[in-house]
Amino acid sequence: MTQNLSLGGPLAPDLPERIGMVLGTEDATPTIFWFAVSSGASVQLDDLVVVETLKPNGQPVHFYGAVDNVRKRHEGVTFESDVEDIVAGVLPASVSYAARVLVTRVDPEDFIPPQPGDVVRHARGKALEMALSADKMEEAAFPAGLIADGQVLPLNFRFINGESGGHINISGISGVATKTSYALFLLHSIFRSGVMDRVAHKSGGRQAGSAGGKAIIFNVKGEDLLFLDKPNSKVVDRENKARHTKGLTADRYSLLGLPMSPFRDVQFLAPPRAAGVGGAIVPHVDQRAEGVTPFVFTLREFCLRRMLPYVFSDAAGSLNLGFVIGNIEEKLARLASDGTGAALLVSDWDPVQSEEVPDDVQFDALGKVSLQTFPQLISYLEYKLLEQNDGEGDSKWVLKQSPGTLRAFVRRLRGVQKHLTPLVRGDLSPQQADKYRPNLISGGFQMSVVDIHNLSGPAQMFVVGVLLRDLFEYKEKNGRQDTVFVVLDELNKYAPRDDSSPIKDVLLDIAERGRSLGIILIGAQQTASEVERRIVSNAAIRVVGRLDLAEAERPEYRFLPQSFRARAGILQPGTMLVSQPDIPNPVLVNYPFPAWATRGDEVGESGKPVIEEGEAWLN
Amino acid sequence: MPGMQIRLDPWPVDTFDGQLTLTPFQGELIDVETPRWAAIAPRPIPQRLTRVYVVDGKQRMEARLHVTDDAGREGHAGFGAYVAGAVDLCPHGSRQAELLSVRARRVLAHAPDLGVSPLRLSPRHPQTGELSYALLATQPGGHPNAPLQAVQGAMLAHEQELSHGLASAVPFDDTDDREHLTALTIQDGTLRSQNLGGAVVGCVKTIQTLYLPTDRAQLLSELRPGERTPILHMRYDNNRVVRFIWYVRLCQAAFYQHPMSGVMRLEMYAPEDSDFLPPIVRQVANLSGELLCKLASQAHKDPRAPQNLIPTAALEQAMGRAMGSLDLVTRRIRSHLARELGVV
Repeated sequence: MTQNLSLGGPLAPDLPERIGMVLGTEDATPTIFWFAVSSGASVQLDDLVVVETLKPNGQPVHFYGAVDNVRKRHEGVTFESDVEDIVAGVLPASVSYAARVLVTRVDPEDFIPPQPGDVVRHARGKALEMALSADKMEEAAFPAGLIADGQVLPLNFRFINGESGGHINISGISGVATKTSYALFLLHSIFRSGVMDRVAHKSGGRQAGSAGGKAIIFNVKGEDLLFLDKPNSKVVDRENKARHTKGLTADRYSLLGLPMSPFRDVQFLAPPRAAGVGGAIVPHVDQRAEGVTPFVFTLREFCLRRMLPYVFSDAAGSLNLGFVIGNIEEKLARLASDGTGAALLVSDWDPVQSEEVPDDVQFDALGKVSLQTFPQLISYLEYKLLEQNDGEGDSKWVLKQSPGTLRAFVRRLRGVQKHLTPLVRGDLSPQQADKYRPNLISGGFQMSVVDIHNLSGPAQMFVVGVLLRDLFEYKEKNGRQDTVFVVLDELNKYAPRDDSSPIKDVLLDIAERGRSLGIILIGAQQTASEVERRIVSNAAIRVVGRLDLAEAERPEYRFLPQSFRARAGILQPGTMLVSQPDIPNPVLVNYPFPAWATRGDEVGESGKPVIEEGEAWLN
Repeated sequence: MPGMQIRLDPWPVDTFDGQLTLTPFQGELIDVETPRWAAIAPRPIPQRLTRVYVVDGKQRMEARLHVTDDAGREGHAGFGAYVAGAVDLCPHGSRQAELLSVRARRVLAHAPDLGVSPLRLSPRHPQTGELSYALLATQPGGHPNAPLQAVQGAMLAHEQELSHGLASAVPFDDTDDREHLTALTIQDGTLRSQNLGGAVVGCVKTIQTLYLPTDRAQLLSELRPGERTPILHMRYDNNRVVRFIWYVRLCQAAFYQHPMSGVMRLEMYAPEDSDFLPPIVRQVANLSGELLCKLASQAHKDPRAPQNLIPTAALEQAMGRAMGSLDLVTRRIRSHLARELGVV
């Protein structure tokens, strides 16, 4: 009888086979219900299902949802030891196989409960689109991975590019959660699926082809990301294997509609190796010999563009110290404003009064001192604050701060001196300065990988802070055209929950205002509970890989239903839980093995990319 | 003079009867198997016995009715339900036990001279099924209990058909040796009066009547689990009913229980003539110890252990479920009447 009734609904043509019926012995509610699985059917976690129920007036209501729990038990028996009698053939019992559904959508939005006995079917075709809200996304849908049965999970680009929401946040244990791999896969999908053009076309914006959009990736671990432009020699094997074990009809790249090819238009930036004055500037990388550009800031830029605060990642610890930093930053910017070249010229350094003058100080024609290195700058600041005027310092620089605070300031600068000396140099020719100035936006590259893994902690903070600040200021001037994606792992270091720092301020700016400026943060961290709440909560797309189970119970992960939190502890590499605003429940996806090399030994034969394009261009 | 002895009847006091009532028996007993009155050890279950059916039935009245038909005749009637079913199991444990034909039937039992028609009570929701009452005429005489008796009779007849239909045949004729014991039915309780010729063994859970004389009854206390007494040919003192009977012990009696606790009486149909013991009856008696020890229930799981066999308990539960909730049925009947009378 119910069979006949359900034929009247809009899903009528070629209904998939019935897989069960809504249970009557558990509560059936509009948001969660159980169904008994028909004998011979197989239902697993994450299966997407649809149920049709009829209102008393005959109007159908459809419930779309995902299976979040499946269980089997003997029914009709009371005791746990009864299983022995049942297997021994003495006690008749049947196995009850039931599945719980978390409803993701009710259409139309009449929140009546389904009726026990209503037929449950797999969601396929149009029903699947409804279950995943793909019908709402339209041209903004781009592939975020494959769900359990090999169908594509669409992600709504409008919740990434800032139109309706922005930012992606990824949590998971290092090593097994494959956070960076998934971030790169999403970038690959955004750049190569054509979604940016489709969305731009719809809203009448500029279409830039697949070159639209830029990405800045900070490489914090090993040299994993220095081969993104090289094909991966293992990808074909790995994808064939995955296709076989998962029983897919094609390889995962084809199913997703993405080319199995590495990234294009990538520049690699790395800090220089330490060198003396006038020393050659060589990128500090070990595995990759060519194609890596070193980046250096000139000493004058350092002063002029107010980079000093980014040297102090914990400045907010002391109000007085913050005051000193702000003051010196201002003084240096003024000094640097009327000069040229890489060095900073100062006229008021009387080395006679200085306790120890660096040997290599150079005087220019006018008797000004030319500061060529970062240590020299620190010596100059020390002179101005603590030594000039018989230890009183220059009163305009000191501004009545206590010597203790000033000493703390200098001591901290000395502390990072070693780390920043190679990055901030005054001995560069104008040509060198231009060549090695990091250019993340206006160069012809789509992706910029900034390798900071060789840098010490303070230097990493400095580089990330300065580059993001520059990016933010650039976008403030130039508007949201050409979305820039920033991939940054270890957010807990850059934007910790409890402390404040200049970098955290930049990241907060990006998180809260970047949406409207076209800066999208793809942030990742091991533990979202240790990251500034506003940064995580501003991310419209939340992704979770393997989590520590204790971490999974923290409030930051409450967007995961309980059953998903438990599963987050057993996720395998290559599997993620993706939560997006269009779908109220997270969805488990797997995504393909990288088509780009992630290590030196994975690089495929040079000049022979695995598959250059999709096969469409052959026709 | 011996001191006072107190031993427990094993069954809880809230069951209808105790396990051991031990009323003395007035009929006639004849040794048909052996004149030697001693315990007989169990024999292994033969390989070709592959099916054992445990059969039981249940009935209930769902409503007592007073009916007036089109012609103005009045009489007693009743809505009743009954179910008889079986558990099909392999005594060697080679497959899982299954429930067979546990399906409730509903009848409108009515005095034979009343003109009534079958009824169909439809639910509000299509998923909850409808109740369909077939007609069943009671005995004439208009006794108020006649509908209940009719329902019970229908249930017993159905159970009897099921029991004998499933089991191998038992010929009462020693010239026919082609029949083998391949399927055996265990029926809950004493055998019904009519023998349909199947290998049906009745399992009597309680010893209400102690058929053995005092000098022989001592053996019941001495049986070890699985052992049985020799088979006896028994004739009731009303001279109408003849049966083969024997006793089997299913479990050891605890020290605080009556020493006859855990003993069960089995019976099979017997010919009038007490000379002939059909080979199948002897086979059933031989294997009964092993089989019943296998099916016996545990005291912590079933208050009527061990005699209420595991499959029997499961079958009872399934039959109860098949008949459905009496409260809901009553409500359905009332709403049917309400609709008929135009109240709603």
